Amino acid sequence: MRPLLIAAALLSIVPPARSAAQSFLGFRALGAPVLASDGRAVGTGNIGIGLRGLEFSVLDPSASARLTLPTVSASMQPTWGSFELEDETGSSNTTRFPLIGIGFPLPEARGVATFTLAGFMEQRWTGERSELIDLAGEQVLVEDRFETSGGTSVARLGWAQRVFRQRLAVGVSVGAYVGRLEQSFDRTLDSLSIGDRIRPFSELSEWRYSGYTLAAGISADPHDLIHLAAAVEWSGDITETPRPGTEGAANTYSVPLRLSGGGTVQLTPRFQLNGSIAWQDWSGATGFPDGAVSHLKFTYGAGLEWRAVQQETRSVPIRFGYRRVVPPFRYHRYDPIETVWSAGLGFNIVEFAAIRLGWIDLAAEYGTRDSHPLSERFWRGTVSLGISRF
Amino acid sequence: MADSDMPAPGHSDMPAPGKPDMPAPAAPSAPLVVSGLAFAASAFLLATCQVELPTAAREELVKSGVAVEVLVPFAEFVASASVFGGYGRASGLGGGFIAHEFGSDVDENGAEVPGLEAATLVRFGRYPSSVSVVDTAGTNRLDTAITFHAGGVLVRLDTVSSVAAGPVDLVAHLVTEEWDPVSAGWDYAVDTVDNRVAWSTPGGGPGDEIAVGVWDPAAGDSVELMLDSALVVAWADSTAIRDVRITATTPGVRLRVSSVVVQLQTIPSIRPDTLLRIGLGATGATFIYDPLPSPPLGALRVGGAPSWRTVLNLDIPRSLSGYPDLCRQLDCPVDLRADHVSYAGLQLTTAPAAAAFALSDSLALDVRMVTAPRFLPKSPLGPSSLAVTGGAAVAPELYRPEAGQVFELPITEHVRDQLRGETAFGDPVSSTLALMTVFEPLSIEYASFAGRNSATPPMLRLILNFSRGN
Repeated sequence: MRPLLIAAALLSIVPPARSAAQSFLGFRALGAPVLASDGRAVGTGNIGIGLRGLEFSVLDPSASARLTLPTVSASMQPTWGSFELEDETGSSNTTRFPLIGIGFPLPEARGVATFTLAGFMEQRWTGERSELIDLAGEQVLVEDRFETSGGTSVARLGWAQRVFRQRLAVGVSVGAYVGRLEQSFDRTLDSLSIGDRIRPFSELSEWRYSGYTLAAGISADPHDLIHLAAAVEWSGDITETPRPGTEGAANTYSVPLRLSGGGTVQLTPRFQLNGSIAWQDWSGATGFPDGAVSHLKFTYGAGLEWRAVQQETRSVPIRFGYRRVVPPFRYHRYDPIETVWSAGLGFNIVEFAAIRLGWIDLAAEYGTRDSHPLSERFWRGTVSLGISRF
Repeated sequence: MADSDMPAPGHSDMPAPGKPDMPAPAAPSAPLVVSGLAFAASAFLLATCQVELPTAAREELVKSGVAVEVLVPFAEFVASASVFGGYGRASGLGGGFIAHEFGSDVDENGAEVPGLEAATLVRFGRYPSSVSVVDTAGTNRLDTAITFHAGGVLVRLDTVSSVAAGPVDLVAHLVTEEWDPVSAGWDYAVDTVDNRVAWSTPGGGPGDEIAVGVWDPAAGDSVELMLDSALVVAWADSTAIRDVRITATTPGVRLRVSSVVVQLQTIPSIRPDTLLRIGLGATGATFIYDPLPSPPLGALRVGGAPSWRTVLNLDIPRSLSGYPDLCRQLDCPVDLRADHVSYAGLQLTTAPAAAAFALSDSLALDVRMVTAPRFLPKSPLGPSSLAVTGGAAVAPELYRPEAGQVFELPITEHVRDQLRGETAFGDPVSSTLALMTVFEPLSIEYASFAGRNSATPPMLRLILNFSRGN
């Protein structure tokens, strides 16, 4: 009963929509992507598919087929970043909650029903401007501030099924894009020029996101030492609809097909390597301003996991990894690339036959993100908690 | 631990989902609970941490903004305008006015106005029966054996608001008829709802002259009109009438009285070497004047005592078109919302008023919503919008050397309320506004502005802001 209370507490305090990429990338489009992975995948450089023992994956619906007990997992990511934009520099920090997953095995059907809530795209940044304007025959100094906050998440319902003597698993999921975007424009006019009774101008625009996505995945263990997975995800258009009180027409953006795959090789009983790759071609996506989308297509990552401490029902793995991510939207006209080095530490508090029933995963990443003239650096931590058998 | 000591993390012995015969791990609850609580606490702390957004001063990151000034003609934002008078009483002003043959002229209606006559009426209380005196030993003692043998009426004047070219002759008369300090006017000594009693002669009755004096503006702000010693003694009787009317005999003056007191002189019995001056304050005071200003035929009016208000029934346009500056930058018609209005000012053009009531000092104006227009002129009013900053001051210079100059009254919140359909606090609004002084009455003087049918009717000056694009 107590773990159940903990799980309830976790879900009550973790709002996935709070996620924040804290990047200027994609300011003309949907923002910067959120890599919705837990601390183990982050630590091993995995992009969310093909990692043996992964409990929840937003890429691969079949990943949860290994769950044997009702399980809940949540991740939290504090981030500290800095940027250079030609002659400007600045910093940022935030905390995000990129992934919440719930899995519920149904023994009669030999499958697992899953629910995940994961970040997809985020827009959180502020632009400022000072200029002189002609107003009422005077040159008036105005200060403008434009703040964007919000993003898109995906809520998915999935089903993972083990077949063929437990060596093969298939899964499907259906998801809905959810989320909202708030944009505030504030203009302050210089009171010395125009008088102290003038009020600043503030305008708040709110938008709601909607859309659907379908995914299917397959994972297999063709050999005791090898795990493989592949998945495909199709998305309908994402619709950005103004909320009541916001002027403007709805915008529709297409999301291209995503193909992904990955695998894990067990080199020794305590040491494994993994690699994963995703292909998604945004260059033909519609609805975005000209030149906003990247032509790069491949995101990949690789890493290793070594169980430094291994006991009968507990273990402490150490992880290292590298990822190269291609965000879909540029800053100006140069394709962006994000490179991330990561390290992680796991505390598998309760596990049985390599199935984790209670765990905490910690990961630290250092990454760079470049899309000339924008250059961003960040340190990011990930803390994930998973609990089964409640 | 050697690699061979541990089970391989393979799959062949993996239990099926939910299989009931799966062995339970040893005591998982305690560490899970501790871990869960630690995670929950960390998540809560991090979730409540302050978020710092990346911020850059880049043109491409900011929406375009449009700021424009628009002057809305009277007919496009006012449905009707009215002037109401009679708010408050002269006695509510505090102090008073003294005038003689001041400002005979033609008023804004074109009518001949004789010179203003004004008198200040004051009722004094009883003499004190004792005074506190410091004796030769330095001790405070109460002297009850006091007699008053001399005294005078001390008149203090507001030198800024008074109009006098040189020394002014003042006269004090004893008011011998019954009068009401609250309701008395030029024609009536008592003027209440149920009771109206006229003076035997307008202007406070005949009266007996009891003191004279000369106020020289160059010499100071006060003058003492010395009383006859016999009258000072006679006023010691508690039943005596101590009502005084103060007037001026020098023509062409209008003085604003700040206060009137009787300065009594006495020699205390316990300190016969000392002359004491004791002030005797007024228990009631008002001022009466003639003629009363006639209602304006076309002009707008604010101020006076009793006060005048100008009431405007607004009809603020919800969309704008036909304004070149605006339509050059945005597609007209442009929908107008409350948020777009950064400033709204009611531009009024000063109109010549009757010289008798022309401004000699700034008049602080206010704008308040008329919450129940159907009950006008007695409608309750909404909260003051300008009094907190002292009001918007109409300077007398706006009427010099002649009227026709523009005065702007800020009404930003009222215009926003009209466009919003409710106040910023969600309260209902009416479309009717009252232009008035911050207090009523504030002065005998009033401000006059050009009305609808003049060559320079009021205008609404708007400074609007819009955003454009992404």
